[in-house]
Amino acid sequence: MVVFAARRSLARLGCRQRAFLRYFSSEHTRDNDVVIVGGGPAGLALAAALVSNPAAKESLKIVLIEAGDLSKIQDWGMPSDAYSNRVSSITDASQHFLKRIGVWDYVEHARTNPVHQMQVWDGISGARITFDASEIPESSEMARMTENLNLQRALLRKLSDTPNVQVIQSVKVESIEREAGDTNHWPLVHLSNGLTLRARLLVGADGFNSPVRSFAGISSYGWSYDTQAVVATLNHASRGPFQAPNNTAYQRFLPTGPIAFLPLSPGISSLVWSTKPHLATVLSKSSPGVLEQLINAAFRLPETSLQYIYKRLLEGATSSEEIKGEIAFRERSDGISSHSAYASATSMVSKGGIPPDDADALPPLVTSIQPSTIASFPLRYNHAESYLGEGAGSRTVLVGDAAHTVHPLAGQGLNLGLGDVDALSRCIAQALTQGSDIGSYTALMPYARERYFENHKVMSAVDKLHKVYSSTAQPVVWARSVGIEVINELDSVKAALMINAGAGSQLQNASGWDLLAKSIENLAGFTNTSKMIGSTVGAGIQELAKNAGQRIFGRL
Amino acid sequence: MFSSVQRQTARLSHFFPQNARRFQSAAATSSTVNAAEIAHFSRLSSTWWDERGELAMLHRMNPVRVRYIREKLLESTFEDHGEDARREMESRREVLKGMDVLDVGCGGGLLSESLARLGARTLGIDASESNVGIALTHASVDPQLSSSGNSLEYRHASAEQLVKEPKQFDVVCSMEVIEHVDNPLAFLSACAQLVKPGGHLFLSTIARTPLSYFLTILAAEHILREVAVGTHTYSKFIDPSELISFFQSYRPSASSPSTPTDLGDMGSGASPRPWITRTYAHGLPTRLEAEVRGIVYIPWTGEWKLMSRSSTPWGAAQCNYLFWVRRPMDS
Repeated sequence: MVVFAARRSLARLGCRQRAFLRYFSSEHTRDNDVVIVGGGPAGLALAAALVSNPAAKESLKIVLIEAGDLSKIQDWGMPSDAYSNRVSSITDASQHFLKRIGVWDYVEHARTNPVHQMQVWDGISGARITFDASEIPESSEMARMTENLNLQRALLRKLSDTPNVQVIQSVKVESIEREAGDTNHWPLVHLSNGLTLRARLLVGADGFNSPVRSFAGISSYGWSYDTQAVVATLNHASRGPFQAPNNTAYQRFLPTGPIAFLPLSPGISSLVWSTKPHLATVLSKSSPGVLEQLINAAFRLPETSLQYIYKRLLEGATSSEEIKGEIAFRERSDGISSHSAYASATSMVSKGGIPPDDADALPPLVTSIQPSTIASFPLRYNHAESYLGEGAGSRTVLVGDAAHTVHPLAGQGLNLGLGDVDALSRCIAQALTQGSDIGSYTALMPYARERYFENHKVMSAVDKLHKVYSSTAQPVVWARSVGIEVINELDSVKAALMINAGAGSQLQNASGWDLLAKSIENLAGFTNTSKMIGSTVGAGIQELAKNAGQRIFGRL
Repeated sequence: MFSSVQRQTARLSHFFPQNARRFQSAAATSSTVNAAEIAHFSRLSSTWWDERGELAMLHRMNPVRVRYIREKLLESTFEDHGEDARREMESRREVLKGMDVLDVGCGGGLLSESLARLGARTLGIDASESNVGIALTHASVDPQLSSSGNSLEYRHASAEQLVKEPKQFDVVCSMEVIEHVDNPLAFLSACAQLVKPGGHLFLSTIARTPLSYFLTILAAEHILREVAVGTHTYSKFIDPSELISFFQSYRPSASSPSTPTDLGDMGSGASPRPWITRTYAHGLPTRLEAEVRGIVYIPWTGEWKLMSRSSTPWGAAQCNYLFWVRRPMDS
């Protein structure tokens, strides 16, 4: 009798499921394991990373939704002397990841350019730090400048060769809701083509205004910098035979924001000029022949002279001749010799021959701007409070710009996103080996733990850099200049900084320790210098703290 | 004898107080589940499956248990069939494909679902009917579990009831259950009888040490309130040496376990070979017969960690631990 009772209670899921599911499933609802919203680099890279894992490829049903037309990007092509204006520096670590998931071979390498050196200097004091790839053991380049479209096209081509990911393009996400029932139910994504996707795991790779983040109820904190970035593709003369090739990235920290020159090919480079919004408007709308002169001046003229040029520009001196006259006037009054690399409007430096002594400290002179490559966009800092949804927003995870937005001055935005994708795909692969539900909070926790603090660290470092360099207060300028010049002398500290920033990914921990040991030695050697400058640095830091305090309380 | 075993084991499942009041005897007649009950189970299931709620610790323990089971099965494959077979098994996504696995005291189905996802034909049993309902409801929402050819099944039954049926399993697991039953010896022999020759038995429980009292009762229940008060009873905790000495003397009956009359012979010596034949210093079993491994909760990562085999003679099994024992092919 007992045995019979137990047998009757035996329930097979297959039969029960049909009855149970009927009330919420419709003909247009499809079950999926991973639904990625957003076809940007982060979303595409996640799909590619997942299918590069045999277990995930075999067992997961992956869908990617993109509102835009991805086929245009897949067929994207440009003449070899024209470059898109959106360019990223792919760090060694990111490159390593892209190689591992089999995407790097799809990138058109001829359109990328290695960065062997970075020169960064203070717009006010001129204090300079030079990072060189030769200082990192076992690494030949720090990063590779790559057009975003080149990378996106590579990802799309990789995905079209692996049919395991269904890419739905030119279709919008109309709404996201939770399945009727309690919190264990799955998110439903309603699409503009009438389809509804049921998602075990919903990935928000949908950018700064992430709809997935709103659905998950994850708040984010941040602010917009009072800054716009102006981008453009620049033509310039090739470096001469007595100079290093165009493999150096230059960045000058002006109080209005950093201006960066990123090498793309021997005669072409990319500009990212972060500056105040009213200046950005004028710069991006300036008449032909003006912006290139302003760029050359912004890398060369002293800060006070630049302020004067901005003033003239805003007052309406907008023709190419007027600007040239103003720059030439400032060069003469600042005593810049026309044979120096710092001269642009009055430059007498000939194309060939022996370049001036200081030529390597500055980017080459920009001669023209490629047509319709000038654009500008606002800059902000934003970090989601969590990368994982909970409760009514469970089964959601954020990657890339949906999780964080960062100032582009260190070129880390895309790399942070790729770092997220790498960690999330490894986390999902691990969850599969232990039979976990990949949409569950417990299974995704390692991803959030691996990335949240890591991203926060990089983001706040970048944010602090921006803030420290926006200041014109004397003690701050002095302190940051001394700091940067001291670091510049410590090769191993610099190497450690570069490795932290993603260069030299293949290094083992052991060599990291070696480097640390070396830096301690170096620091010991510099103790005397530090003692000498210690007291003054202390004063500078006090001033810095006061300044920061004022800013914080001012904001309150 | 027969009926007393029934009564004792009927109490094995209700280790969380919120389910205790819904406890029904395993002998009670169960009926096919209707829509009203599904709604009812759905409400309850939000507690079992609330990963941030009272059972968060149990959810976080699950990955380490599954990893351990996977690791031990890979190891045994290596011992039986060599490195190539182990590699082949490891490369499969469904590492447990083709195996019959029993989860005794499945609760809401946390472990059973994971085992089914790894390809095992999984049967989860629980003496609490409401737990079985919760497990069924939860799995029915997941197409992977509900459509892959009925590889996951749940039953309202106790281990002793299954012993009376002819079926035996490649793997029998009973995680965090034995410290909640009234007669652990009878429970252990029931679990052991359900293992096929050459099959595996996995248990997890808590050692009876001052440390475990401090961590699992004082800290977890009364100070931090991470676990509901009354979940654990110190006197019911079981030391690893007790499990080992049970399997040193355990000699199952040689005849088929399907005949109910054999139940009377449990634990008495008819078979020539116990599961654990010898031990090393400190009473440690040999690597191929059994293993004890401590698991430790790391608060700052929020994860349970499997202690290394060499961390102490007992694999740091001072508090929570996993126990594995293999039934000999010829027993």
